[in-house]
Amino acid sequence: MTKVLNFLDPMPIVSAVLMGVALWLIFIWVPTEINQGAVQRILYFHVPVAWGSMLGIFVVSGSSIMYLWNKNEKWDRLAVASAEVGVVFGGLMLLSGMIWARPVWSVWWTGEAKLTTALILFFIYVAYLMFRAYFPPGAQRQRLAAVIGLIGAVNTPIIYFAANLWAQAHPPIVTGPAADAESSLGSDLGTVLLVSTFAFTFLFIYLVQIRLKVRKAEDDIIELKRNAGTHAPISQATPDQAQSTEARGTS
Amino acid sequence: MAVAVLLIVITGNMILTGTASAQSGTTISGIVVGVDTDPDGRLTKFAIADSSGTVTTFGVSEATEYGLENQAGDRWVSTQGEQPGEIARRLRDHRERFAPVTVSSESGIATSVVEREEGKLETSLGYLFAVFAITWALFFVYVLYVGRKQRVLQHEIARIKGPSEPAK
Repeated sequence: MTKVLNFLDPMPIVSAVLMGVALWLIFIWVPTEINQGAVQRILYFHVPVAWGSMLGIFVVSGSSIMYLWNKNEKWDRLAVASAEVGVVFGGLMLLSGMIWARPVWSVWWTGEAKLTTALILFFIYVAYLMFRAYFPPGAQRQRLAAVIGLIGAVNTPIIYFAANLWAQAHPPIVTGPAADAESSLGSDLGTVLLVSTFAFTFLFIYLVQIRLKVRKAEDDIIELKRNAGTHAPISQATPDQAQSTEARGTS
Repeated sequence: MAVAVLLIVITGNMILTGTASAQSGTTISGIVVGVDTDPDGRLTKFAIADSSGTVTTFGVSEATEYGLENQAGDRWVSTQGEQPGEIARRLRDHRERFAPVTVSSESGIATSVVEREEGKLETSLGYLFAVFAITWALFFVYVLYVGRKQRVLQHEIARIKGPSEPAK
């Protein structure tokens, strides 16, 4: 039997080790930043989860494109799993940003471009998942869900460049190709941010992996019921289960 | 789960010990009441009056770091070695505006002079802990949610397979 938390599986072990190293670097090794003090260490959580939320929507959109192209169910499964993990990362991005903003900006939230576009990304994730949950099963649902995923992907570069384009309260880009040399992190802080980003990326992959196993189990149940001649009525199955059955039945 | 609990315990301890040790040294917040310069206009020492009225004088070194804001709120970051004349001007500006600063020092030599932090250090650590706790709580809740869902589905698979293929 496949267990979700299988300690012999390398992914959770690699994720845990990387996360342990990242946490040691964050709380022990890296020097305290001069301007903000200890609260600046939130950066090493905030930026990696923001990266994870953007990675999630890229996977959703990429998988959606692949699904629209070849109608293979595995791409649709990957899109749903990434969206669900992405909404967790997106929620954490907003929460950590708000908690960080309070001590350094004296407000929990402002309506500036970077924050607003990040909130839109979160809403796109929620819309994607709600749409899949409530829209009647069928090929149209998967096509429209794929379009929502693509809209999210369009929003992502806007989030990345927002701080530089509108130059408001949010600090300019400190990592990546668009980073301004003056605003780039020093080597110590940059190293910790890089390791932390790697750790959260592995965690993202691991979470998507276990979510895919659940989707696979759902599909196995549909298959078993059909083979055993005890197929549950469509109305009793979850919408995704019903859709999977329909797709197989027509393929 | 054991790995998860271990991570929480270890990193919770890291927050309590690591960041506390990083903040060691004398830190005083107050108003700039005196700025001394040499004939070239380079800052040599300055004095701070804290909320109890106690005046403390600090020397400076080439490595002393500054993070000061002007009246418009623009932050200027530099070190004593880079712009000694500008530092004296900025501190006088703070003295005239009664703008409070926070000075970290070791053995009477200022290591950093920054705009006064918005709240107490403990409050800032509280924000850091909040982010840490929420991040991990949410991840663990999600993993538990997925794990429970997986167990339910596995039981369902075992039930459907029935006696012909017992559950493993």
